[in-house]
Amino acid sequence: MKSLKAQNALHKILFYAGNTIIGIIFVSPLIWMIAASLKPEAKIFANMNSIKTFVPEDASLNNFIEVFRRIDLLNVFKNTILYILLILLFDLLLNSLCGYALAKFRFRGRKLILSFVVALMVMPMEAILLPMYIEMSQLGWVNTMQALVVPSIAKCFSIYMFYNFFIDIPDDLIEAASIDGSSPVRTFFFIVMPISKTVYATVFILDFVAHWNDFMWPFLVMTGKDRRTIQLAVQSFFGTQPVHYSAIMASLVLSAIPMIIMFVFMQKYYVEGIASSGIKG
Amino acid sequence: MKRKILSTVLAMMMASSMIACGSAQSADGTDNGGEAVNTAGDMDDAVITIWSPSDKESIENWWAEKIDEWNSEHPDMKAAREAIDRSDSYAYDNKIATAVTSNDLPSIFFVDGPQVSYYAANEIIVPITDYFSDCIDDFDPATQAQCTYNGELYAISATQSGVAFYYNKDLLKECGVDTDDLDSRTLDNPITWSEMAEIAEKCTTDSYVGTHIIMDHGEGIPYALEPMYISEGKDYISEDGTTADGYVNSDEAVKTTAFLADLIAKGYANVDPITDEFLNGACATELGGSWDVAVLEENATFDWGVTYYPVADDTKKAVSPCGDWSAAISKDCENVEAAGEFLSWLMNTENVASYADAIAKPATRASAYEEEAMAAYAEGPRAMFVEQLQNTAAPRPRTPSYATFSTDYAEAMTNIFAEAASSKTVDESYIKEQLDSVADSFAEDYNTYYAN
Amino acid sequence: MASKEKLSGRKRDERIAGYVFSLPAVVLLIVFLGVPIIYTVYYSVFQYQVMRPNDILFIGLENYKKLISDSDFWVSLKNTFYFTVVVVPVQCILALLLAMLVSKKFKGVSIFRTMYFSPQLTSMVVISVLWTVLYNSNPNTGLINAFLTNLGMEPINFLTNEKTAMNSIIFMSAWQGAGYQMMIFLAGLQGIPRDQYEAASVDGATPFQQFWSITLPNLKGTIKYVIMITMIQAMKLFTQPYVMTQGGPRNSTKTMVYYIYTQGFQKGNFGYACAVAAVFFVIVVAMSLLMQNLTSEE
Repeated sequence: MKSLKAQNALHKILFYAGNTIIGIIFVSPLIWMIAASLKPEAKIFANMNSIKTFVPEDASLNNFIEVFRRIDLLNVFKNTILYILLILLFDLLLNSLCGYALAKFRFRGRKLILSFVVALMVMPMEAILLPMYIEMSQLGWVNTMQALVVPSIAKCFSIYMFYNFFIDIPDDLIEAASIDGSSPVRTFFFIVMPISKTVYATVFILDFVAHWNDFMWPFLVMTGKDRRTIQLAVQSFFGTQPVHYSAIMASLVLSAIPMIIMFVFMQKYYVEGIASSGIKG
Repeated sequence: MKRKILSTVLAMMMASSMIACGSAQSADGTDNGGEAVNTAGDMDDAVITIWSPSDKESIENWWAEKIDEWNSEHPDMKAAREAIDRSDSYAYDNKIATAVTSNDLPSIFFVDGPQVSYYAANEIIVPITDYFSDCIDDFDPATQAQCTYNGELYAISATQSGVAFYYNKDLLKECGVDTDDLDSRTLDNPITWSEMAEIAEKCTTDSYVGTHIIMDHGEGIPYALEPMYISEGKDYISEDGTTADGYVNSDEAVKTTAFLADLIAKGYANVDPITDEFLNGACATELGGSWDVAVLEENATFDWGVTYYPVADDTKKAVSPCGDWSAAISKDCENVEAAGEFLSWLMNTENVASYADAIAKPATRASAYEEEAMAAYAEGPRAMFVEQLQNTAAPRPRTPSYATFSTDYAEAMTNIFAEAASSKTVDESYIKEQLDSVADSFAEDYNTYYAN
Repeated sequence: MASKEKLSGRKRDERIAGYVFSLPAVVLLIVFLGVPIIYTVYYSVFQYQVMRPNDILFIGLENYKKLISDSDFWVSLKNTFYFTVVVVPVQCILALLLAMLVSKKFKGVSIFRTMYFSPQLTSMVVISVLWTVLYNSNPNTGLINAFLTNLGMEPINFLTNEKTAMNSIIFMSAWQGAGYQMMIFLAGLQGIPRDQYEAASVDGATPFQQFWSITLPNLKGTIKYVIMITMIQAMKLFTQPYVMTQGGPRNSTKTMVYYIYTQGFQKGNFGYACAVAAVFFVIVVAMSLLMQNLTSEE
């Protein structure tokens, strides 16, 4: 009895010690980033060889003030969140409809569409930037909200996520609704959607994070300070001589804050959503 | 609870999409109500549109002020300027290249000095000689040279830049280097490479390295190092801009490169230095940009000095880097006349002086130094940079294949320095091999697109 | 009779609904993914310097011929595969280990989960900039080398040595990405019935044997899924070399997407970049379909 207790205690100690060490390895770069954002420029790389590098001496918010002076952060956040939410509204709606159709309806061309979706999942955006821009220009969309939003709506990966989720919904459920006289549209919106919150939350979060980090595409199609998105604003600190790590670190910290807030706010969905995406196979 | 959160999110999305639709319209130019008007002039009804890299607050304010001034005097030729964010020296060029494919360029855009010939040769920008014929001699010779292609002026800049040898006096004294000697150097008696290497050797300790060679994997490398090659006897590329073979891969170039690689092999300079290494006291000296003067004055916690760009031991020929962002009129400009008039106004003595003051860089116009805004350039480190610029500055090669050259040369130097750092020795045959491949790909690019 | 008619009516409804539901997304995919791909293939048979859109020259398959003898192309392809082949197992194993560490219900376990997940909350650009500083070769300015020299080891030129550069990027990428896969594994682990372990425990199976005979077989589906999404990400590797090494030193971190980008943008060889992109598309699409067939076999 006693030895079992001792064993349990040992387990506990091992668990906490192991997790703490590994946990520190995982968060230390981020802690360093936050510490650096509070240091004056000339002190960032001081004490690099001791633990003191994680502790900002002469901590001040000067770097953050500098960031606020150089970019209209509120406007930048507003721009970014607006265009992302607009994308996501259509993203969630259209991709889930498509994923549902592929999962639950039998129609000619279904297999073909499915293999296209799977095949194009690996298509890297960076490789087709220029042709995409040329297309935007031909449509007359350069420097408009459409160029930022419309091409980003349909996503193979989102369709695939929805498809994977919907395929596990029992056919009986849909069948029953159908026999009760519910149209496919009604069934989708009033029966399927309410029981699929986790997959919607997952796609929402995944795509939100992805678009929050978009740089190249907004950079190429949008011009103008009052339309700039968060990553453009952050990048402006890298390109302008003199390059100051203090301001860069502060802008990086600021750009991560909305992500952290979202994570804290939606953590439950985040975890459930991501987790549910891989249980099947 | 879950449902509540989700429905709140959905409601938020709905609401925001409606607002966003509104702003999408105004971005399109069909509906200007509601959206705040750009402080630097409204792009939609402007006759002259301008792109320039985004910069620090003082420069952003300068632009807003100048555009307002112009627009109130010329209501029929309104100008608007957009700040382009750039992550590095290439991102801005990408934006220009993309706009070129679809004729989306603004009337005027800023271009980095050495790119002028690339754009001019491809007819992306148009000659502006006529608008500056009466005042061009007031601009420093290096600016004139950099902005001229095939005998025509294609661009014009308000400021210049330079590179010189900065030293941390506190660290140098610790290591027994005579800083008074460095302080007393003149343009006729600059330090030589071997003196530079000697200081670097003496000042390499456990806590800091002797010197700093710029390593941004990009345009910074050809920019900061070219004078070394010229001083040794051979530039990167032939004078007429047609070939790199026999230049960038010449014996002189190999020797120059070997000198730099040796500093890294011996550990006197870091192979991947952080940008602010000098300011952080992690290196005792640096080949640093003229922009560092303001940074050091504001932030340095040590005593420092700066002297002229070092010269090759055998030739003692003084050469220094230069070049800065220049304004050019694009091929897509609908009213070249108006843009030309705007440009010659923008680059008048008073504007050049206030711009140079705001951006803390030396001005290009000699007359600008008589303005009060330029008073700081009368003495000290700033005066040294001006003196160096006016006497020894050499523009980067004027060739349409410069973009390819710059990318390949930066890559080759990265390889050479990495090799030196790993093997701790300098392998001249490897240097030669790398520089040969730079010359080869230059030839391929030039012959494919420009030879005929 | 009546019921049969009703059934075929339902089938027709289903078919129509299938088209209507999938149409919007499919149309958008065709217009904004399909068309650019077609453009890419189209421009790949031209000599097209990006600064001269009015001066493009049809050259047939010249770009493709050039590509075959272009050593940089093959190196980039090799690096992309190397990255994928190494990062996928490293990241998946790391994620599984982390998931096993935090799958038991201890007090404060959610704090550790959040810690492991935290690198996901910043963008790859941010992570890359940060790690460039951490990886700095000089112990006076690079955190990791400062740590190594404190332990009495020689500093390592992580990003400036061709032997270590790609592996450094792999390590960083695995660190950044593992938290996400950990979450997926966590759900998988929690779905394994506890009595299987208890029964094995009674039979005297060691923890390792339990892992081998219970945990792994139960996680089969999850593992396949995780491998697939990791692989998709890996094939697209761009940001890390773009920010950290610019493909160097000695091409050791030049990946396919990075090569396409530098050829098309920096050097302006748009036609050639399109040819490289077209070949790369064929390769990744083939791999993707192959993967899909392998994983959906059961």
